[in-house]
Amino acid sequence: MAHCGTDEPSSGSLDGEGQSLEDRSLLQQSLAIRELMDTEDSYLHMLRLCASDVRSRLQQLPQGDLDVLFSNIDEIIQVSSRFLHGLQETASKEEKQVLLIGNLFLEFQEDFEQVYKVYCANYDQALLLLKAYQKEPELQQEIQSIIQAVVPQAGPSGLSFILVIPLQRVTKYPLLLQKILENTLPDASAYPVLLRATSALQDVNANINEYKMRKEVASKYTKVEQLTLRERLARINTHTLSKKTTRLSQMLKQEAGLVPRTEDKEFDDLEEKFQWVSLCVTELKNNVATYLDNLEAFLHFRPHECDLDIPGGPVVQYCSLARDLQHEAFLEFKQRLKGLVWRPLCSLAKALVGPQNLIKKRLDKLLDFERLEEKLLEVGSMTYEEEAARHTYQALNSLLVAELPKFNQLVVEWLGQILRTFMALQRDLAKQVLQRAEGSISQLPHHHISEPAFRKLVEDTLGQTSTQLLSFRENFEKVLPPSTSQPLLPGSESQVQALLSKYGPGKLYQTTSNISGAGTLDLTLSRGQIVALLQNKDTKGHSSRWLVDTGGHRGYVPAGKLQLYRVIPSEEHRGQAGVQQDSHHLAPAPAPALVPSTPTVTQVVAAYPFMARSTHEVSLQAGQPVTILEAHDKKGNPEWSLVEVNGQRGYVPSGFLARAPSPAPWGWTLPS
Amino acid sequence: MKKSTDADLAMSKSAVKISLDLLSNPLCEQDQDFLNMVTALDMAMKRMDAFNQEKVNQIQKTVIEPLKRFGSVFPSLNMAVKRREQALQDYRRLQAKVEKYEEKEKTGPVLAKLHQAREELRPVQEDFEAKNKQLLDEMPRFYGSRLDYFQPSFESLIRAQVVYYSEMHKIFGDLTQQLDQPGHSDEQRERENEAKLSELRALSIVADD
Repeated sequence: MAHCGTDEPSSGSLDGEGQSLEDRSLLQQSLAIRELMDTEDSYLHMLRLCASDVRSRLQQLPQGDLDVLFSNIDEIIQVSSRFLHGLQETASKEEKQVLLIGNLFLEFQEDFEQVYKVYCANYDQALLLLKAYQKEPELQQEIQSIIQAVVPQAGPSGLSFILVIPLQRVTKYPLLLQKILENTLPDASAYPVLLRATSALQDVNANINEYKMRKEVASKYTKVEQLTLRERLARINTHTLSKKTTRLSQMLKQEAGLVPRTEDKEFDDLEEKFQWVSLCVTELKNNVATYLDNLEAFLHFRPHECDLDIPGGPVVQYCSLARDLQHEAFLEFKQRLKGLVWRPLCSLAKALVGPQNLIKKRLDKLLDFERLEEKLLEVGSMTYEEEAARHTYQALNSLLVAELPKFNQLVVEWLGQILRTFMALQRDLAKQVLQRAEGSISQLPHHHISEPAFRKLVEDTLGQTSTQLLSFRENFEKVLPPSTSQPLLPGSESQVQALLSKYGPGKLYQTTSNISGAGTLDLTLSRGQIVALLQNKDTKGHSSRWLVDTGGHRGYVPAGKLQLYRVIPSEEHRGQAGVQQDSHHLAPAPAPALVPSTPTVTQVVAAYPFMARSTHEVSLQAGQPVTILEAHDKKGNPEWSLVEVNGQRGYVPSGFLARAPSPAPWGWTLPS
Repeated sequence: MKKSTDADLAMSKSAVKISLDLLSNPLCEQDQDFLNMVTALDMAMKRMDAFNQEKVNQIQKTVIEPLKRFGSVFPSLNMAVKRREQALQDYRRLQAKVEKYEEKEKTGPVLAKLHQAREELRPVQEDFEAKNKQLLDEMPRFYGSRLDYFQPSFESLIRAQVVYYSEMHKIFGDLTQQLDQPGHSDEQRERENEAKLSELRALSIVADD
């Protein structure tokens, strides 16, 4: 560089000096500009080399690793190439160049920040990965050879050399700009622009650093660590203990009012909203879980699979409809519900964990921070760790303040989306069911009837059928009349007469089966014997043992084995005698008019032969059919009946008459 | 069948709970859109629940009750069958006795006993045959009556479902028309969900797992 300016005699005009100074600075400026452009060009070239050649040759590394190493290098390339293009355009503009360059930087500020911050934040991870590679000598050797081939100037540091280039570049921008700025006259039009550009780029760097730090802090504290108790205990050392005790004391001081609590209204609002949001998400998730469970239970019961063996008609349609519904429509609904509503809710719930942890940590750090602030006020200086703690708190705070609103908003929007999906799913389910049902319903016999009319119809039909059912039930329940009275044992008719005359016809019972007496007063009787009832309960009041008279003996017999024996029996009484064995199966309101299904045609016949002893009486032969004219005599005595037999009329003892089923004549003859 | 309706009711109730809890969340106070949406959803859910209750009632009346009544006939039927069974036993027993006497020599007392046995047999036989006939007549009739008996029940079942689901369709159709972009396919929804998730993850305060 020619120092002509200083070699001139100082008697030279100020203008001349100024002029050469200006020239020099202009020269320097243009040199700086040239440097900027050249370096940008080579930078871009190097980037392209790395991205394409080096990356494609590193095939043996898995794709995930490559992504970590090179992260968003492609985006950087794009931005840089645009930038370079812009720079190259300014080259022709001469005086305006500086101004244009300044503007260009301002224009690209945002892009630079976005693109480089991601890369820088990722850089640490890339370094970790490289370290892991260095531990494998073979791999390292291969990588090294590849790098050597493509980028000879990389030297032994290899891949890390390449990877650090973008970092270096972004920090270089302010320096380059600074250089240009130095050599620009303050009153040049470009100066303020350049100034702004420089500070802008410095801001970019500061922001990138801030972003990186936040990311570190976030990743340190967001993860919930599942520690066992033992691990937790192992972690306690004096350091943590002291940390926690100081925090606790700070908190107590705040509670006691000794120390003012820093109130951050903005943060508190955010936190409150966050809590609502997380409450909403958890509740919704729980409710949807319950809903899904109930849906499962609903689908679990499959009434349509029970077979009623009814061919044709609505039943078959119902079965097929229900089957369809269950297997297709509801299944689809369930799956969609799970995929589109349940799973997002679960992811949401998981996403809530991070911010919750961070908020908790912030509170801790806040306590530290306040204490440190106090100390700062008192003492005026801090140790390095304390500075670090302050920074951590501030970083946490700013991170949360910056990102919580966005988080809240996103969650609310997403919740809205999920709810709308839920509604749409319900609608679709309904549509599906309707589609399937419409087909079957048109086949139903009553489809043209409107709903209320149909309901009335159903009610009426059901009323009819229920009465029908009732009648069925009665049919099944009615008890057939038991067998007609059993034939008498031969030789007992006189006994019957004696009993009859002594006690009257209403008290005669016949045993239906053999009775073996067990107790002292019990009688032993054979089947078909006639006894007379004395008392229908025993001494203790049990109505199941009756005191009877056999004509010779008296004793107790079980009531269940007695059957009313009517010498002139009537149909109704037979059915109603309480001693019958299956009487207790009758429905509570037995219809007295139980019609036996085998209507018996009865006729009065003479049970025993009878010799007429006077003209008022008429003779009878056993088995002779008679016609009763009057069931009592002139004095009203029921023991004599006026009958007509064989054309003759006369009185006979009523006890000698019997009703018998006419087709079955008595099978035995009385010994005369 | 009853359990199915119970589960149905439970499902509907839990759906109502969803919207109820949402409504009670204080988020609604802040965000007007959210509030609108949640109120609409809540109303829809409540109406759905009412319809569901109605549907269940209808089913109760027209299907479950008749089923129960039909089933209650069976005990009587069983009893009648048992009685027939008993009569059959008696008949057989007496029949055997008669046959036994018939095989013996025809002496006087034997003849008398034979007569007596025959006398005893006859009424029992009649009784049994009567019972048998009755059952033979009635049972097929009863069994066959179920065909007609159940037709209306099932018809009503289908119709009740149709009514309910058409209501449901209408309500939710309106709701989605109002609030949602209808016609989103499932893939679109999936993608929207994925997009939101990745946006959330992009925030550094959210942990990456």
